[in-house]
Amino acid sequence: MGTENPGRPTFPSRPASSPFGAAQPVTPFSSTGPVAGSEPPPYRPTPPAPPQAATPFSSAGPAAARPGAPGFRPAPPGRFSDPSIPPPPRASNAPPPGGPYQQFPAAPFPPTTQQQQRAPMMGQASQAPPFPASLPAQPQMPFVPMGSPPSQSAAPAHLGPNAPPPTFQPTFPGYPSKQAGAEMQAPPMHSNFPANQGNYGPAPPAAASPFLSHQGGYVPSPPMAPPVGMQQPGSVPPMGSVQGLAEDFNALTMQTRPGTMDPLFDPKELPRPLEGDVESKNLADMYPMNCSPRYVRLTTSAVPSSQSLASRWHLPLGAVVCPLAEPPGGEEVPIVNFAPASVVRCRRCRTYVNPYMTFTEAGRKFRCNVCTLLNDVPSEYYAQLDATGKRVDINQRPELTKGTVEFVAPAEYMVRPPMPPVYFFLIDVSISAVRSGMIEVVANTIKSCLDELPGFPRTQIGFATFDSTIHFYNMKSSLTQPQMLVVSDLDDIFIPLPDDLLVNLSESRSVVETFLDSLSTMFQDNVNLESAFGPALKSAFMVMSQLGGKLLIFQNSLPSLGVGRLKLRGDDSRVYGTDKEHGLRLPEDPFYKQMAAEFSKYQISTNVYAFSDKYTDIASLGTLAKYTAGQVYYYPAFQSAIHGEKLRHELRRDLTRETAWEAVMRIRCAKGVRFTTYHGNFMLRSTDLLALPAVDCDKAFAMQLSLEETLLTTQTMYFQVALLYTASCGERRIRVHTMAVPVVTELADIYRLADTGAIVSLLSRLAIEKTLSQKLEDARTAVQLRIVKGLREYRNLYAVQHRLANRMIYPESLKFLMLYGLALCRSTALRGGYGDVPLDERCAAGHIIMTVTIKRLLKLLYPSLIRLDEYLLKASVPADDLKSVERRLPLTGESLDSRGLYIYDDGFRCIIWFGRVISPDIAKNLLGADFAAELSKTTLGEQDNEMSRRLMRVLEKLRNTDRAYYQLSHLVRQGEQPKEGFLLLANLVEDQMGGNSGYAEWMLQISRQVQQS
Amino acid sequence: MADLFVWLISFFLLIALLVLITFQLMCLADLEFDYINPYDSSTRINRVVMPEFITQAVLCFFYLVTRHWIMALFCVPYLLFNIRLYRRRMHLIDVTEIFNLLSWEKKQRLIKLFYLVFILFLSVFWYRQFERLNCLSILWISL
Repeated sequence: MGTENPGRPTFPSRPASSPFGAAQPVTPFSSTGPVAGSEPPPYRPTPPAPPQAATPFSSAGPAAARPGAPGFRPAPPGRFSDPSIPPPPRASNAPPPGGPYQQFPAAPFPPTTQQQQRAPMMGQASQAPPFPASLPAQPQMPFVPMGSPPSQSAAPAHLGPNAPPPTFQPTFPGYPSKQAGAEMQAPPMHSNFPANQGNYGPAPPAAASPFLSHQGGYVPSPPMAPPVGMQQPGSVPPMGSVQGLAEDFNALTMQTRPGTMDPLFDPKELPRPLEGDVESKNLADMYPMNCSPRYVRLTTSAVPSSQSLASRWHLPLGAVVCPLAEPPGGEEVPIVNFAPASVVRCRRCRTYVNPYMTFTEAGRKFRCNVCTLLNDVPSEYYAQLDATGKRVDINQRPELTKGTVEFVAPAEYMVRPPMPPVYFFLIDVSISAVRSGMIEVVANTIKSCLDELPGFPRTQIGFATFDSTIHFYNMKSSLTQPQMLVVSDLDDIFIPLPDDLLVNLSESRSVVETFLDSLSTMFQDNVNLESAFGPALKSAFMVMSQLGGKLLIFQNSLPSLGVGRLKLRGDDSRVYGTDKEHGLRLPEDPFYKQMAAEFSKYQISTNVYAFSDKYTDIASLGTLAKYTAGQVYYYPAFQSAIHGEKLRHELRRDLTRETAWEAVMRIRCAKGVRFTTYHGNFMLRSTDLLALPAVDCDKAFAMQLSLEETLLTTQTMYFQVALLYTASCGERRIRVHTMAVPVVTELADIYRLADTGAIVSLLSRLAIEKTLSQKLEDARTAVQLRIVKGLREYRNLYAVQHRLANRMIYPESLKFLMLYGLALCRSTALRGGYGDVPLDERCAAGHIIMTVTIKRLLKLLYPSLIRLDEYLLKASVPADDLKSVERRLPLTGESLDSRGLYIYDDGFRCIIWFGRVISPDIAKNLLGADFAAELSKTTLGEQDNEMSRRLMRVLEKLRNTDRAYYQLSHLVRQGEQPKEGFLLLANLVEDQMGGNSGYAEWMLQISRQVQQS
Repeated sequence: MADLFVWLISFFLLIALLVLITFQLMCLADLEFDYINPYDSSTRINRVVMPEFITQAVLCFFYLVTRHWIMALFCVPYLLFNIRLYRRRMHLIDVTEIFNLLSWEKKQRLIKLFYLVFILFLSVFWYRQFERLNCLSILWISL
């Protein structure tokens, strides 16, 4: 119970009927709604606190003690942003009626005691650090000893969002948006300070310690502070220390469980990202012309002003870029054509024209925002300035108002004519491939996608198949039947008819269709066991090297003939834990790296689809995708009856999504900062140029930056991502994302503006890269260490001023970092050792982490667990109303009720969990007559009843949220071992499992390490 | 006279090594400044890596055979380092990872360069003088 969570200060100020008030008593696990009445949570003695302003002292206790619920899930309002919706039944962690949490009802101390206990402990009001995001409760103001004027002035602004339960994002108090908007407009940081400082003027203690002075500096969050003080009026010490309250850290208090001496955290109070990924909006409010966070996200939306400051930020400093992300809200990225002139760029630093460039001298010159060089405006681009200094044509020029634009690139951006989209398929037809049914699914899917392949009518297509020989298909448009050409000399490969193997799809359409129709029957009697994968790869390279394009490899067995032959490895458990362990995750044969480098050079991108039930060495095959901006899809033990649907969707997505061809990407930034390392699937063509033979919206790239100069003198740092590519239509384009971020001088600001999603994405990529050179154990330790260091530094910011014993403090912006760190260490890629995850699956998971976007990664790390049975049973809820199935539960075994039906969705698969005593009705309706049979043999299909249709609707909705992967549903029944274990239980990251620590224990470990400084 | 030839041969071997290392460093520097692409850079470097290793091994062996123990001793760490690289298959530049390893590759070659210069220095001055002293003492004894 010890969250000090600043508790949304607002909470008390709300009327009792406000969503929060109502929400709390409700039990989370029963979606039915307010059952709470039935079981008053012991630790919440006073129901919704009356507005604090009225009875500050009495209400303070519960308010402070309780903040856990709302405070911890900042989410609620966000989710139920529609005020008309009935009280959000979330009540974060309140015990469910009869749910597992009942075990914990013991909320250690009766509230009163607790209050007393806490007061001394916290010593000062400091305790109640402002919950930053929270909506400052204005009514409290008057009580604040220091009653800061600015906060008052800010009041209206705050009140605005207050009324409807606000979305939670603006975690950072001072900054965000609304207030910021109201108080100051532009590159706010600095301008903000004076006001605040004035506010804090008489802050004598501050002067004392260096840290304080920081705070003084960074206080942009003052409006928040006062409410905090209010929370604890009882314990508020003299004014001086109240000041300290102006901090926006969150804290968890360790407590001792009765009977034991070990301190521990109350699992109910731990923060959980049940909202999924939340893109921080504060930067967008400060710099409205920035590109959407969908495209570029920085680990912290602030650049440290000096190297010494940067070295105190122990978490990664960098960006995660998804250059082709689907634009938000169905907007289109504006396309700008400067023809016949060239693209307007800065002469010196080559920055593309962007909204932050300023025009001067009556519009004849523009000043580059990145290098401050004064450039001449090309005559074709000239426009007069109006009275305010803006170009008169600014509204017709999207590149001057939008952070994301596309320029049509003139001929000087081409080294050859834009290539047509090229798809070449390399399909394994050995006996295992035939038996699994893969060939048929692939052939049918390709055939169904022929109309939707991008780039009609220029699209080119080609096929080759291989077992112990390589088969090419002449599909010249003049033929009626494809002609098969067999090459059996694997040592000296040659390409028969080099011109007719890759054909124009629209011209040879009928031949291609005939081929795809006959493909599965052609090899159905094949009994060849061998796989000449290496030679086939080489020949595919020869066919494609003229044009480049996309190579899709369907591989069903370990390459066994010719170059690139691989051998079984990874079945030796003794290697694990030794220095040679990482070798298993590296390509065995340098052939694959060489091929990958050649592929990248000739603009070929490789996607690997692997299907084998045995070891196929994803580590080696994956290398092909890694350096060519490709992707690895792994379907262990593929059976078309079971996995066919997944393959169909993912292959379709791969073939039909908008793809950028022969692309290169560069991220520019102003002098003083440099991007040093890049992480993802690509190959570096020069120190900062990423070669991406084909790239699409599902790929993200991460990069870390470092400061080159000891001190940055500018106030704002600009980043510009430029992706030069050939669109499928044959036009060469440059997609430019521009982003401005403030340069800050205080560490606290960096923490406040941190973006957990981006940090986790970078941390994961670093951890995966670490597994390629070190042991898994080392990679996990490194993750933990990074988090500990970050939190320790943060603690040091405040430790001087506050007594923090027994408390773990962390910034509001990073409240989920610890959990994601734990989830990362327990993810398929990093978990355990030899026995825990098969080597291939581990490598495939690693490849996924290296490519996915932030949103998808966070979902993968902390999947959603949703209870379904109530939605399925309740006929009164309209089937379209899927709100009740949006409520995610904490990922712990205690969330699972054996009477319920749950769905676990990590974005790659769905696991449907049937409780042991679930009503037979549900099982029967969902599974049909054989509901009692073993679930592994049952597949989920739509039955002819309402319940089944509802389930299908839920699944469809989950699948539609992000279509990059298809979530195949697995059914599992409670207690069905070992399936339940590895499908679900191992993924409940908050539970202790095997050698892995649970969430509470992990927090304890971190907290201990943080304190041993 | 034989001594002079021994010295000359070792001197030219050292110069050859220096040239090879400098060439590799130049390729890396060019790559860093984007004058050549990673493919060309790595093929150029990889072409001279084995010659470098072999020359160095020959030099070490040569010192041993000619019983220049101290010089041989100085060459051993270098040789062992090369053998270690070779056995780990890390001696060739990996074009796919070249930019991530750039600083390491440069550092490694710079250290090699300084080490060679140091050995060259020894062989030119100190060692020559030592030998001359030796010769003188032999002369003196024989007299």
